[in-house]
Amino acid sequence: MAAFRAPPRKGENFELSADLNSEYKEKRKDAIKRVIANMTVQKDVSGLFPDVLKNMQTDDLEQKKLVYLYLMNYAKTQPELVILAVNTFVKDTDDPNPLVRALAIRTMGCLRAEKIIDYLCDPLQKCLRDENPYVRKTAALCVAKLYDLKPELVIENGFLETLQEMIADSNPMVVANTVAALTDIHIAAAAAGSNTEVFVITSAVLNKLLIALNECSEWGRVAILNALGRYETHDDRESEHICERVVPQFQHANASVVLSAIKVIMIHMRSVRSETLTKQLVRKMAPPLVTLLSNPPEVQWVALRDINLLLQKRPDILSNEMRVFFCKYNDPLYVKVEKLDIMVRLAGPNNVDALLSELKEYASEVDVDFVRRSIKAIGQTAIKIDEAAERCVNVLMELIGTRVSYVVQEGVVVMKDIFRKYPSTYEGVIPTLCANLDELDEPEAKASLIWIIGEYANKIDNADELLGIFVDSFTEESYPVQLQTLTAVVKLFLRKPDTSQDVRDRAYIYWRLLSTDPGAAKAVVLAHRPPISLPRTTVSPALLEELLGEIPSLASVYHKPEETFVGRGRIGADAIPKGGSELADDRATAQKAFQTVAAGQQAENLLNFDDPTSNDGQQPTGLAATTVLTSTPAATNLLSGTSSNPLDDLVSIFGNTGIGTNAAPPPTPGQPQTHLNAFGGLSFGGQPMSPAPPMTPSVLQAVSPPPQQQQQQGAQDDLLGLF
Amino acid sequence: MAIDGLVILDSTGRPIVQSGFRSTSPAYPLLHIEALNDALSKAPRPADADPVLYVPNTGIDGPSACCHVKRGELRFLGLMSGDTDPLYVFAFLETFISILRDYFGQLSAETLKENFDVVYQLLEETLDAGGHPSTTSINALKDIVLPPSLLSKVLSVAGVSGLASPGTNSHPFASPIPWRKVGVRYNSNEIFFDVAEELKAVVNKNGGIIVSSVWGKVHTNCRLSGTPDLLLSFSNAQPLTDCSFHPCVRLQRWSRDKNLSFVPPDGRFILMEYKYTPGGVHHVAVPFALKASVDCEVNGGSFDVALTSRLTTKVLENMNVELYLGEGATSASCVVSNNTSWNFDPRTRILHWNIKAVSPSSSFSLKGTFSSTAEQPRPSHAFRARFEIPQHSFSSLKVDQLKITGEMYKPYKGVRGRSTGDVEWRW
Repeated sequence: MAAFRAPPRKGENFELSADLNSEYKEKRKDAIKRVIANMTVQKDVSGLFPDVLKNMQTDDLEQKKLVYLYLMNYAKTQPELVILAVNTFVKDTDDPNPLVRALAIRTMGCLRAEKIIDYLCDPLQKCLRDENPYVRKTAALCVAKLYDLKPELVIENGFLETLQEMIADSNPMVVANTVAALTDIHIAAAAAGSNTEVFVITSAVLNKLLIALNECSEWGRVAILNALGRYETHDDRESEHICERVVPQFQHANASVVLSAIKVIMIHMRSVRSETLTKQLVRKMAPPLVTLLSNPPEVQWVALRDINLLLQKRPDILSNEMRVFFCKYNDPLYVKVEKLDIMVRLAGPNNVDALLSELKEYASEVDVDFVRRSIKAIGQTAIKIDEAAERCVNVLMELIGTRVSYVVQEGVVVMKDIFRKYPSTYEGVIPTLCANLDELDEPEAKASLIWIIGEYANKIDNADELLGIFVDSFTEESYPVQLQTLTAVVKLFLRKPDTSQDVRDRAYIYWRLLSTDPGAAKAVVLAHRPPISLPRTTVSPALLEELLGEIPSLASVYHKPEETFVGRGRIGADAIPKGGSELADDRATAQKAFQTVAAGQQAENLLNFDDPTSNDGQQPTGLAATTVLTSTPAATNLLSGTSSNPLDDLVSIFGNTGIGTNAAPPPTPGQPQTHLNAFGGLSFGGQPMSPAPPMTPSVLQAVSPPPQQQQQQGAQDDLLGLF
Repeated sequence: MAIDGLVILDSTGRPIVQSGFRSTSPAYPLLHIEALNDALSKAPRPADADPVLYVPNTGIDGPSACCHVKRGELRFLGLMSGDTDPLYVFAFLETFISILRDYFGQLSAETLKENFDVVYQLLEETLDAGGHPSTTSINALKDIVLPPSLLSKVLSVAGVSGLASPGTNSHPFASPIPWRKVGVRYNSNEIFFDVAEELKAVVNKNGGIIVSSVWGKVHTNCRLSGTPDLLLSFSNAQPLTDCSFHPCVRLQRWSRDKNLSFVPPDGRFILMEYKYTPGGVHHVAVPFALKASVDCEVNGGSFDVALTSRLTTKVLENMNVELYLGEGATSASCVVSNNTSWNFDPRTRILHWNIKAVSPSSSFSLKGTFSSTAEQPRPSHAFRARFEIPQHSFSSLKVDQLKITGEMYKPYKGVRGRSTGDVEWRW
């Protein structure tokens, strides 16, 4: 094969042409190989078409295959020439050797040249009823390819009916390929907007599928299992029957078969009424899922993503198996991240100690990103399991004691969340946190510490000094830190009215507000916040159901419905449960945000505190909004997806929660609006003091007047609801 | 929804083999290759690049994704569009790789280039142009695609034709058993079972086992004539859990009495995989102990490691202990016991310590220092130790007997055990 590696010579094609016409068989075959070699490295050998074509009629199957390979490659660009080959193709479909018959029909299907297709139908008709199963199964797939090119030919020739009959074929491989072909056509027809279901699975078909399932190859099994997932059962007995027949697939060596089987069980288990059977099925799911983790990391990752989804629906599947998810230091990062998430999901009072010592170990690893995630996981565990919170705090304090900068910063952020969940419980650690004040250089960590200081101002002797540090550097701080400083200063004032003049000066705007009605301000700023909790699911229940139906697929791996990344929507985008689209459409979010900002602008007249007509009920809105915002991570998460919006900076400080990295999107469409309202309120409160985001009120107001009234109403309702 | 095609890249990221893509534009595979190379260069370590890359705007309706795995110097890409199952793609890639191994032995860019005609034929047979994997059973494939053999090469060089043309089976897939071909004949009938077990464990610094599991595979090499029906029974199959089987195994029989009843494929295959879960005791013990202290100083550090075998009769072979010395590590210098060697790879920053044989109850030591450009070096918090124990199985799985029905001959049977271990030992 020296010619393969040799640099291109002048007139190489000329030499090849001579060899292709050689009188010696071996020389011709060798020349074909060289042509194919050139073709595969993208050299143009299309000029040799007639010479190669001459070698098509041969007894040597290998040579025939190579010529066919060449034809498939150039059929698109040289359709006129391919017509010359049609006769040989048609003749080959009558060859006594089934391999030749199958090869010919397969190649004809791949040529994708309009002119050849008309010649395809008759041989295909014959091959679909060939005595040899290999030819039949090849022909079945060929129908799907033909449908792709010219659907009307498939329908005119009755190929669909033939395929339906072939589901009853005696050979399981033929059945499997027929199912695959019908599924392909079904999807193609649906995408083209056809209303008739091409591949309807009746109970008769179901039985044939169940029989073939145990006998065909792994790829056939996946095709059949996918079809079974689409079947709609009539009663619970039928569902039970399917589940029982599918369960043995859990023991297949192929991971793809295993997950497809799990998907079918998850779908049909919904209608199983027997509790014992459900329990049994859930129990049987654990071993194959664990086995998937002995695969190479790539497969592990896909499996872990799917396990993550499954656990959201059925947290009990792997309750005793947390240890298999422990990370090894040389696992790829993508595997570790998924394992971490699953470990927290599986955490319970009985295994929390093992989990914590493991997480502590991870926090000393080399990879900074992984260390941060591990510390976050400690916080999540504390919030999830009340009785373990103290142990979590101890571990965190130990970690903060290492004084490794990023460990300390992440630790402070996590501690803030723990304080939110367990107010006034772990005040003893506050001095330690404050001692690390100088180490903090990340806005998120700084803001968290400031929040803690403000919240516990009356317990910290030098709270005013500490805040003074931030007040002095106020203009240099990032926006989130500035906001948090302001809030903290007000809290400090309310909790320790004797605080220094300097601080109070800085909070002048608040003071004006406060002086009007300190009681109301107190009720708002020091209000009881809704408790923080760990979202049990990262996707909404409706979306979860949909994704479970898609397991295993790209959709379930990305935890997003297929429609969001696959262009042609089979189900219109509207059909997706609205709260489910975590990636809340950028445009819509921005639009809403602007509207609410506009609402805030409108409301600015509220700042005119001296106005005697000022409505007391409305007054707290601005301040209340600040606090509400601090306490609703969901709002910030909702926005954090749209970074192009300058307003996001405003709230990014609160996006730190760690708890809600993927906080469940609000289930009702009404809710995001109200969060945003709160946010609008904030922007007017902050404006006089600090660089406000670029806004053009006039334009915004022009956009917003109609909804504005309602929205304000909404904001108030929501605020009242919160307190 | 299907696999669009397969690409094999060499170590420099250039494609050597491409298949499929007839229905798409020529740019389609190129965009994926580019996306992959881009992701690899961006990842902190190439192994950290996401295994499923989302590739938007490839010109077909709807975006697509690229699944990739690296085996040896080669990287295999499975491209897919629509909502396909990535596992399906990975499973196909694994299958295709094992087919290539079976045909060519060790895989390298050279072998693939030399045998590109066979590779292309294999691709044509295994992956249908519609994106459905078709024939992937080695037994069936060898009927249709002739493996390159010395004989056919010699013949083609000598220019003898006719003889070299494949004497293919004229009745492919006529076999009622899809995984076994008909008319197999051997002069001596033999079957070998290799029970290979791997211990994967994580141990904390006090030697306490955090996780340990043993995964086993029964590799089988079957050279039996005709259509034998085998019944393999173990004397102690109870602790085998989480089993998965080759499709030839009759599952009902296994769940009834833990015996394996099957008609084997011809040649090599994996009969079953299992997890060994000992009853009573919680964990499988790690067969050695490691005592380590690592101290980090400014721009460097020192370490002192002692390894002792806990086995009483068997020898641990090819023990390899490695420690990642952290970002910025530049060199190391060590003193080691006799019969062991060490080296430091400045590219991966991993220190390797190799011990050819750790005889029962023997001890070895490694002492040394390393230097680093990082002011506070952060070596990884665990050692990784890998080893082999020939003629041993953690589960001590014993084959009780092998009964053969359907054929008259008495085959020669062989059963071997071998074990490997991959232990993470924290310090």
